Amino acid sequence: MPMNAIAENTTPKPIDAGWAWARFEPDGQRAWTLRWVGHLYRRAAFGASWQQLQDALKAGPQATIDGLVKPTAVQAGADASSGDDAVTRSGEAGALAAWWLRRMLETPYPLREKMALFWHGHFGISQARVKDGRLMANHVSMLRKHALGSYRELLQAAAQDPAMFLGLNSEASRRAMPNDNFARQLLGNLTMGPGVCDEQDIKEAARAFTGWFVLRGDLRYFEREHDTGVKTVLAQKGAWKPEDIVRIVLEHGESARSIVRKIYRWLISEVEEPEESLLKPLCDSFAQSYDVGQLVETMLRSNLFFSETAYRRRVKSPVEFALGIAKGMESIVPTLPLGSALANIGQQLGDPPTVQGWPGGRHWISPATLTGRLALADAMLSPEGAYGGKLNAGSIAKKHGSAGPDAAAGFFCDLWLQGDVAESIRKGLKEAADAAKSPAGDAWFRDAANRVIRIPEFQLS
Amino acid sequence: MTATRRDFLKTVCGASTLMALSPAVPEFLLRASQAAAPDPEGRQTALVVVQLSGGNDGLNTVVPYTNDAYGRGRTTLRLTGKDVHKIDDELGFHPSMERTLRLFRDGQLSVVQGVGYPNSNRNHDDALRDWHTARPGEIACQTGWLGRAMDAVSDPNRPSTPGVCVAPLPKPVLMNAEATVAPTVTSASQYVLRDLPQSASVEGNSENPLVGFVSRGLAVSYASSRQVQDVLKDSGNRVQYPAYPLAEQLKTVVELVRAKLGIRMFFTELGGGGIGGFDNHANQRDNHAAVLHELSESLAAFSDDLRHYKLQDDVLLMTFSEFGRTLRENGRRGTDHGAAAPVLLVGGRLRGGLVGKHPSLTDLDGDSPRHHTDYRELYATILDQWLGMPSQKVLGKQYKHIEIVRG
Repeated sequence: MPMNAIAENTTPKPIDAGWAWARFEPDGQRAWTLRWVGHLYRRAAFGASWQQLQDALKAGPQATIDGLVKPTAVQAGADASSGDDAVTRSGEAGALAAWWLRRMLETPYPLREKMALFWHGHFGISQARVKDGRLMANHVSMLRKHALGSYRELLQAAAQDPAMFLGLNSEASRRAMPNDNFARQLLGNLTMGPGVCDEQDIKEAARAFTGWFVLRGDLRYFEREHDTGVKTVLAQKGAWKPEDIVRIVLEHGESARSIVRKIYRWLISEVEEPEESLLKPLCDSFAQSYDVGQLVETMLRSNLFFSETAYRRRVKSPVEFALGIAKGMESIVPTLPLGSALANIGQQLGDPPTVQGWPGGRHWISPATLTGRLALADAMLSPEGAYGGKLNAGSIAKKHGSAGPDAAAGFFCDLWLQGDVAESIRKGLKEAADAAKSPAGDAWFRDAANRVIRIPEFQLS
Repeated sequence: MTATRRDFLKTVCGASTLMALSPAVPEFLLRASQAAAPDPEGRQTALVVVQLSGGNDGLNTVVPYTNDAYGRGRTTLRLTGKDVHKIDDELGFHPSMERTLRLFRDGQLSVVQGVGYPNSNRNHDDALRDWHTARPGEIACQTGWLGRAMDAVSDPNRPSTPGVCVAPLPKPVLMNAEATVAPTVTSASQYVLRDLPQSASVEGNSENPLVGFVSRGLAVSYASSRQVQDVLKDSGNRVQYPAYPLAEQLKTVVELVRAKLGIRMFFTELGGGGIGGFDNHANQRDNHAAVLHELSESLAAFSDDLRHYKLQDDVLLMTFSEFGRTLRENGRRGTDHGAAAPVLLVGGRLRGGLVGKHPSLTDLDGDSPRHHTDYRELYATILDQWLGMPSQKVLGKQYKHIEIVRG
């Protein structure tokens, strides 16, 4: 146990896998502070309100994670898949994104939405290709249903999902002319990653998908168009059908490794590629079960998650950026304009750019997208305009006992960054607060909130 | 860099920000200067793409008004020598395009004739996709030619914005990239951040590489905001733009070019708003005249504006449409989906004039002119000779260049 490493607040290299994935138990060296609570809520949810942060601080890490992984409200049935309403299915521009964003804000089970968003990028299916609002909504429901379930089941469901076939330009596959788009994605991005298997494997696997057509929004099977012959895929021979291909490719060790790496990037760090040895225990167990919930839980509860290796080692996506602001402000914003504002800065829910999903990380950030983020934040906090003054920085600060400029500036910094910024930044915030000696009205609160949002660390998760 | 560090910071951040940053001015701001003005000495070229949605009738845009086959094919839509703005004894611009002829005479506009591709598609979506991806027929291709160009030139460690979509549309496939995000900026004012008294808390020193990375990006954002603000303030002698959506988009482009933000590629669009576009299967005459008027007037204002600021040599604009239209009218005073059509280029560094012959009207492809210039040759020329980006990498093979750009 590299206890000395914890004491120094750095992580040794190579990281000891046993220590890394053991449960985090706070001690004298690494206390359970607001810093870690904020970190947890940014990763496992879309941010938190002040009350949630305080409650978690009292409850401790493992009990808080219990609540994120298995919310009592969900056990009580409060999060039944309601709201797949007509608008969502209409395919109207922005309807799906608006509905989903609202759900992300309101759900008692944000971890599920967070993982559904992960799978949305992973599968890379876009409304622009599916061109059917109902099928796209069904696709997202499928991702949500299996978001923390078995990846094996999710892939089997995907192999029966018409949106998958349409989104991969695979709406027809005849015996005489197999369409290999589905097989290519299945053996590549969806499992082992690109470039692991060879073209021949893809060609053979494509034959297993012959006979499947999407007709008027339904996935249909035509026996006479199915190639019943023997196919050799990843060295396994048989008269394979789609479900066999899913099974075979998941039996390949690289599949579990590739998914674990992707989820590591999603939950722990985008900065450094993890060592093979660090991930090995997770890969071994995931390869057996393909239990996503268990993998996510292990990562969230771990020492590594609550270490500098993970802390602020991800760039917030536009969705995380905007929802983090709304969660802190304890209100629902109009999500139709929000959806289109997020599209303008690079993340259109329902429309990942390619089947590889959003590249994420540093790619989110350019001068134009950063300006877009800051302008969006300002608009969300504005008393008028598209967001209708739903987010009121002044009333939230006062509600939590920070009525004066100095206190409010500190409050926003604690709420969103848990006060964990350089001393010079704190000083800057205080000076700005002092300058606002006699704030006229509540406009000052909005400026104070914006100032915190403009701190570089705010862009990080 | 000759200016002092303090002068530089003033330019980049504006005085109030500088106050907030002092006394310890982080080193990274100096590095950020390179991102804000990537090539302060040399000139940076930009490309503006104008999509004419719906399939523009090339034969009534650059009109072969003395051609017999044209006269026979067009009954109600025929334009004669009396109607057109004559380029020469054979060709003239549509009557709505008076100012286009003026640009042409000034050497600010070229017409590349007969542009298309083999076995071209006549379905709107499919043909548009072909023009956007530059991989005709590859329906699974997900990235656009400009998207791939952005990926080829961007460095994720050095925040920059190589391309933006100015059209108020969902992001076009043309700018779809595997890695680079092309934001939508429909007005230059979107680039302006509200000034907060004593704002910027940009701080660069942290163990975490992402903090420095975001800080550099923010420094450039503030600098950009400042630059755009200055541009928007200075609107004294501005050219009057007509009240058209395309003109509005092109005005935004010029403002962003003037602000020197390092944006290399812009996407704009005309005609996509449903009725009133270029897809005129019936009663084409007045609709087509209206959209061409919008195009011509908008291009002219754009060119005048660039020349006013002496930026015409830095910008090249190209139009394209998913296909041209049939030679013969369809009995409903309209025309149907065709093949090759002319591409218009606007800019100060063009060879000018007509590029390539007008396609034959007796040797047709499904009643439409055949192409003699592949659109990927045009793309390759623009990438290699105008943008200085590797066309082979973007287009998958080396296409030959056409003579459009002056050295």
